[in-house]
Amino acid sequence: MSAAILSAHNLVKHFKAGGWGANRKVVRAVDDVSFEIAPGETLGVVGESGCGKSTTARLLVQLLAPDSGSVRFRGRVAGTEMPLKEFRRHVQMVFQDSYASLNPRMTMLDAIAFGPTVHGTGAEAAQLKARDLLDRVGLDPARFGPRYPHELSGGQRQRVNIARALAFDPEVLVLDEAVSALDKSVEAQVLNLLLDLKRERGLTYVFISHDLNVVRHISDRVMVMYLGEVAEVGPTASLYADPRHPYTRALLAAMPSLDPDRRTREAPLAGDPPNPIDPPPGCRFHTRCAQAFAPCSQRRPGDLAVGPHHIAACHLNDRAEAAA
Amino acid sequence: MAVTATDIEQLATAERPQGYWQAVGRRFLRDKVAVAAACVAGGMILMAIFAPSIAPQDPLQGTMIKRLSPIGTEGYPLGADELGRDMLSRLIYGARLSLFMGVTPVLIAFVIGSTIGIAAGYAGGWLNSVTMRVLDVFYAFPSVLLAIAISGALGAGILNGLLSLTVVFIPPIARVAESVTTAVRKLEYVEAARASGASALTIVRVHVLGNVLGPIFVYATSLISVSMILAAGLSFLGLGVSPPNAEWGLMLNTLRNAIYVQPWLAALPGVMIFLTSISFNMLSDGLRSAMDVKA
Repeated sequence: MSAAILSAHNLVKHFKAGGWGANRKVVRAVDDVSFEIAPGETLGVVGESGCGKSTTARLLVQLLAPDSGSVRFRGRVAGTEMPLKEFRRHVQMVFQDSYASLNPRMTMLDAIAFGPTVHGTGAEAAQLKARDLLDRVGLDPARFGPRYPHELSGGQRQRVNIARALAFDPEVLVLDEAVSALDKSVEAQVLNLLLDLKRERGLTYVFISHDLNVVRHISDRVMVMYLGEVAEVGPTASLYADPRHPYTRALLAAMPSLDPDRRTREAPLAGDPPNPIDPPPGCRFHTRCAQAFAPCSQRRPGDLAVGPHHIAACHLNDRAEAAA
Repeated sequence: MAVTATDIEQLATAERPQGYWQAVGRRFLRDKVAVAAACVAGGMILMAIFAPSIAPQDPLQGTMIKRLSPIGTEGYPLGADELGRDMLSRLIYGARLSLFMGVTPVLIAFVIGSTIGIAAGYAGGWLNSVTMRVLDVFYAFPSVLLAIAISGALGAGILNGLLSLTVVFIPPIARVAESVTTAVRKLEYVEAARASGASALTIVRVHVLGNVLGPIFVYATSLISVSMILAAGLSFLGLGVSPPNAEWGLMLNTLRNAIYVQPWLAALPGVMIFLTSISFNMLSDGLRSAMDVKA
């Protein structure tokens, strides 16, 4: 897919967790993650807490600088081949905490208009644009424009955050748990708004969530992350129907089902993920994997194609190895 | 048209929008202690400004025969000091220098300290560490000692006193500014502003300043009382203000020998210092709680 609109190439981000010299400890938040997003598609990213989803999002929008690796927008490396300021106009982000992501001393109109003014739009034109966008996300500009964040509900604030991101006329929107903190009914409304906006504006989404149902609903493709690595990527339908990584299977099995016959009784995954400061060798999942065998603790599995556009990083998919 | 949940949400929050500072003002006015403190502090400031028209006598002109007259003497409602000068007039005039010595160093330190602290806090990383460790060196000395040391090295005089007090107050204000800024910098609205491509200066001006200056200012207000007491201490030691100027700390010093003869009289400048400093302290407490509430 050379026509990718946004792509990550071997992104690595380690955070210092204390210690000096030889005792230096690092959290391997994101370790060698690569993926591509085609124009107009929605890539869902799922995984447990602490698997590096949010770090990946921040690397993707260049809020964090990767230790190594690069992010490309339409093939140009952000920060070098493409100036960051230009990159930011095309790739925007919506954060999880709708309250913390709005300046408490700024009215909604000013908050939305800030972005365009940074990129050279006149103050008046920016205000007009902000009014239009407020209207588009379903908030009456006359009533909500002059308000402050604490005067709005969570759902209303998240609509404003979406409007703020759209004020740049971006092509890619990275949604980091953007609906996770909302009530279910409000969540559905905001999701529908996102789907409408996508159709209208031809947006590309990176949708990060821990909610497998929501991800299934909104995504064209899904990427499963585990301990800073990509476990499996594939088209939504084939990944949900035929998961090829034991971790994905475990996640899907943990999804609450409305069908009583399909309810699981035992937790499919025991325990917490290992400490990312000192991840297990080989496949990082082998300590919790029911099907682990000899090579799992020795070698890191490569990305194995298991179907059209469907890739899983698991030794079980390597026939030669599984047979041996 | 069908009534959607959004419509209901919009109706629920349909009251008039209200600015942040309006809400702060309303909450502050409800706090009786804070309002009283503001009245006392305001009264002191007015007294200082209009000293020439309020004071019944010349604060520098003494009458030897009236030396150490007790409180309530005819023509000397608060008595006379060791040189027969009217205490009331001297206390009124003393507000000028005392308040000046209390407010000015804090104001200058507020500007310098906030700049250092906000810059360090927003920059983060090693720049932050280096700046804060350098300021910690000043922290190692007790503030009184530091003020006396600097003032003593520079010699007596109002200007040197001011300078030493300013130096004393920069580190604590910078420390507070740094910690508030560090907290704000991690909030997602600052991240969102960074994602907008705005320069660091624009982000600090538009998104950070408004959210950190309030708390720093409140902290600085609480330092005014400390500054007044330190300034009084400097004057008491013969540094800072020199006689025959009226300044509360200096008055406390010169009257200390009279404490066995006229204890109430000798305590009067101390009462003024206490009243002013406690009112500034309570004022800053009131401001803090008025600015604290979010919802």
